[in-house]
Amino acid sequence: MTAPSTAQTLPTTELQPDEPPFAPQLVEELLRQLARAVKTRQLYLPNNPIYQRSVEQLQAAFAPLWERTSELVVQISETEFRWCGVVVHQESAGGESLPWTCYKDGLRELTLLQGVEAGEITVFLDILQRVRKSSPDEDDLLTLLWEQEFEFLRYRFVDLSIDTNLTLEPSEESSREKHLPIVEIAREAEEEPEAERQGIIRMEDLDATLYFLDEEEIQYLRSQVQKEQGSNLHYNVTSILLDIFELQGEDAVRDEVCAIFESFMPQLLMSRDHGTAAYLLREAAEVARRAEDLRPVDRERLARLPESLSAPGVLEQLLQVVEDGDTATSQEDLEALFQELRGGTLGTILGWLGSGRASNAAMRAALEGAAKRLAAANTGQLVALIGSGDAGTALEAIRRAGELRTPAAVAPLARVMAGQLPELRRVAAQALAQIGSPGAMRVLEGVLDDADREIRITAVRAVGIHDYRAALPKVEAVVTGKAVRDADLTEKMACFETFGLLARDEGVEQLAALLSGRSMVLRRRIDPELRACAAMALGKIGSPKALAVLRSAAEDKDVRVRSAINRALRGGDQ
Amino acid sequence: MTTPETMAAYTHTEERGGDAYVRKIGREFLVDVYSALRSVKLYPPDNPVVQKAVDEVLRVSEEILSRERELEVRVSGEFIFVNSTRLRLDLDNYASFGRIIAVFRNAGIGLFRVVEASTVRDWLVFLTLLQSPSEGDADQRLVSLAERLAAAEVRAFDLGPPAPEDAEDREKALEAAKRTYAQSLTVTKEVINSVRMGRSPNIKRIKRVVQGIVDQILNEETSLLGLTTLRDYDEYTFTHSVNVCIFAVALGRKLGLTRIQLYDLGLGALMHDIGKARVALEVLNKPGSLSDDEWRSIAAHPWMGVLQLFQMRGKNDIPYRAMIIAFEHHMKTDLTGYPRHRRPRELSIYSKIVAVADAFDAATSRRAYQATPFSPSDALGEMRVNPRRGMDPVLVKAFTSLVGHYPVGTMVVLDTLELALVHSPSASPDAIARPMVQIISDARGNVLFPGVLTDLTERDENGTYRRTIIKISDPDRYGIRISDYFV
Repeated sequence: MTAPSTAQTLPTTELQPDEPPFAPQLVEELLRQLARAVKTRQLYLPNNPIYQRSVEQLQAAFAPLWERTSELVVQISETEFRWCGVVVHQESAGGESLPWTCYKDGLRELTLLQGVEAGEITVFLDILQRVRKSSPDEDDLLTLLWEQEFEFLRYRFVDLSIDTNLTLEPSEESSREKHLPIVEIAREAEEEPEAERQGIIRMEDLDATLYFLDEEEIQYLRSQVQKEQGSNLHYNVTSILLDIFELQGEDAVRDEVCAIFESFMPQLLMSRDHGTAAYLLREAAEVARRAEDLRPVDRERLARLPESLSAPGVLEQLLQVVEDGDTATSQEDLEALFQELRGGTLGTILGWLGSGRASNAAMRAALEGAAKRLAAANTGQLVALIGSGDAGTALEAIRRAGELRTPAAVAPLARVMAGQLPELRRVAAQALAQIGSPGAMRVLEGVLDDADREIRITAVRAVGIHDYRAALPKVEAVVTGKAVRDADLTEKMACFETFGLLARDEGVEQLAALLSGRSMVLRRRIDPELRACAAMALGKIGSPKALAVLRSAAEDKDVRVRSAINRALRGGDQ
Repeated sequence: MTTPETMAAYTHTEERGGDAYVRKIGREFLVDVYSALRSVKLYPPDNPVVQKAVDEVLRVSEEILSRERELEVRVSGEFIFVNSTRLRLDLDNYASFGRIIAVFRNAGIGLFRVVEASTVRDWLVFLTLLQSPSEGDADQRLVSLAERLAAAEVRAFDLGPPAPEDAEDREKALEAAKRTYAQSLTVTKEVINSVRMGRSPNIKRIKRVVQGIVDQILNEETSLLGLTTLRDYDEYTFTHSVNVCIFAVALGRKLGLTRIQLYDLGLGALMHDIGKARVALEVLNKPGSLSDDEWRSIAAHPWMGVLQLFQMRGKNDIPYRAMIIAFEHHMKTDLTGYPRHRRPRELSIYSKIVAVADAFDAATSRRAYQATPFSPSDALGEMRVNPRRGMDPVLVKAFTSLVGHYPVGTMVVLDTLELALVHSPSASPDAIARPMVQIISDARGNVLFPGVLTDLTERDENGTYRRTIIKISDPDRYGIRISDYFV
């Protein structure tokens, strides 16, 4: 081992001078800051400002030290750190004392090199934190330190987990004096024709190509190593387990593999390997279908795998893990996993979508797909969720009921319309409009004069589109009523067009009067905007009679009316 | 807490750390030297290819000197040190490092230092002379090279002979290797026995043992490779597992795997036969032929190993790679072999490495059903030429390169009628037939214990090799227990 290029060669541990080369206070301060950072790390997450401040203070404590040396070597005992024979940090033994944490796992000397403060010190703090929280079965400090390729941190240790006094000894036979039959060796060597001698290097053996890899072979190995590093180990092991389950028919083996599957699923989900989790569920179903020699109990256990994923608590956790994760999640993998979800999860999924908790774009897209699939396959549950106490869930259920045009949803939607929640009512009106059944239209007819403008517009358009003539009297009352005069252009248009669609030729006379500005019903000079709407309604009727009225008014003085007439004659918006 | 045991253990402390800059720039420098050596060999000095290559060597050497204030290249065994930092071998520098070691060795150089500002001409002359060594032993070749450099007025470089191997260092390395081997054996035995007794061993101690093997291989692999000859030291299953781990990690190191990758490979190698702990001992140790049921039971050990490893997992980590290795290590490259599988599969390179190490150790070991093991060189030959073995040919080749044509532990007869055991492959890739050997009997048949370490590349004053292998022999014929010479 050598010191890095940036460091001067310092005396080794054995050569520590009796007198410290500079005042120990600097080292004491550094170790005080180290102990403080360790304690802060116990209390806070790495991104917490308090912890980050303690790390900054620790990093700052290195600066004066590096002005005097480039390497700090401290010896570790149960209760203290020593530097050049001087105690520079002391804590009582046991518990969470820093010297004890290091000492108990075998660390005996720690060397910090200039540069350690830049990044490796925080890795060291993380390791100490892991060790403090670990159970006896988990990796100890030495194992965790070993796994790091530290450049500026070195250590000496005693491996307490293994008997270090173990060694190998030669057999007693070895030291006995022995004389080999040399005559025999010589005779054999001489008598055996050279060509037949065993193990002799022949010219062809000297061909270096037998021993040294050429460029192509090196490339091959490099690609193999890269492939290995990029391979999905979960997937590979899952495939092995499925093979064992399917090809080894013993009951005990299948019991063992099933138990592994059950405990493996949470592992896969926790590690966010959704693709492999989906693969396991998919293949388990396939095996259950394909394997003829399965016991009913095996089939049952395989079937329970996706069910366990679909338990509300499990799915909630899965979604939370994805949402909280800081690495990219594959939408494709999530979609594959959600493909395995059962109908019972619809409420949870709609709740996540409705509440806006699913901010992860990949997860949101995958949830949308799952919601669509599950809603279509479980309309009963979907309808029930319309009445959910959770507004987000209800909102999503209403939307999807509309998209699916589920007639069974009309009754609960009517209840929503009778309720007080504006957003739900608006979405419910849209859903009813999409469903378009007579029942849905009846509900919408009832809200043509609703206090909510959006609901009125949705309702009036819907009855028109679905040609719900039963609503004509009510629509007629709207277009001839006073309220419409105060409505905005969009609403006026919607009302008049629907009137045209429902009334057909029967409404031409009334509309012609409005267009001419002579309406007896409104009994006053008619607003050009209303006249323009009447023109559009006539256009919607589109009969010869209606078109004749439009042509006769084509030279109207008002530009808005003229424009509307022209549009209507051309086929309206089309 | 400071028990006598602890203090005793403290004397065996180890140190870890590293120097990234020197490793990186040192690698770059050696790769440039290798390119320059090649171009100097192929083209005349005024060729632009040569000029460019030598310019690059000069540039990097100056960068190292300006940053490090020194540039020293030392070759020791199969390691190269730049400014005392050992450079890591990987696939990118595999060929260049091997060639440089060979060229240095042929020229008798162990140490090369840039002592004053160098020029393109200095490097050109040096690289040219380096590839045309004179006759004689290593010392003579070195002196001759130094004289020729002086005659060409090249004074920027200082050359030194290879450092004599320090007997004390060698002893220390061997002691460390023996300790690592013994610990590995003990832990492996505990693990396998506790599985046999139906307990679930903790993987924590196994991890520490594998980390120890990886460290040992990275620091000095020869001693540990030598201990793989301990095939009759304990129950086959235990020594075999440890040996396969050592061979696999050493091969992985040769292929340039990182420390963590070597750890993964080593863990899988050590545990590759863990499934055998579920096979009845009377079946495992049966000397005669096996019934169908018994064979089925043996052939189940790869997949039983996977299930067993699920039982052994630590709290936080599941040894997935070890599971894959356990499952695949008897599969051939065409995916035949056992166990059966239904789903598409591509063999992991780790499994293929373990398969090679496993096959070699198994073939060269005496077992219940193999009274006469293959000699190491015959085992290698069989693995190389018999396609039915289903080994990856590139890995077999790399493995052969690792253990040499005469693998460690091979007993050979020398032309002096001395008997010797192969101690380690020659550090020079050009000396395939001339490994380091331990001479264990003199020409009169007197057994020498613990033997005399000898380099078969040594020549006498006439330039003739002092000793040459004339044949390999069977240690059993002479009652030689190979492991005695390696512990």
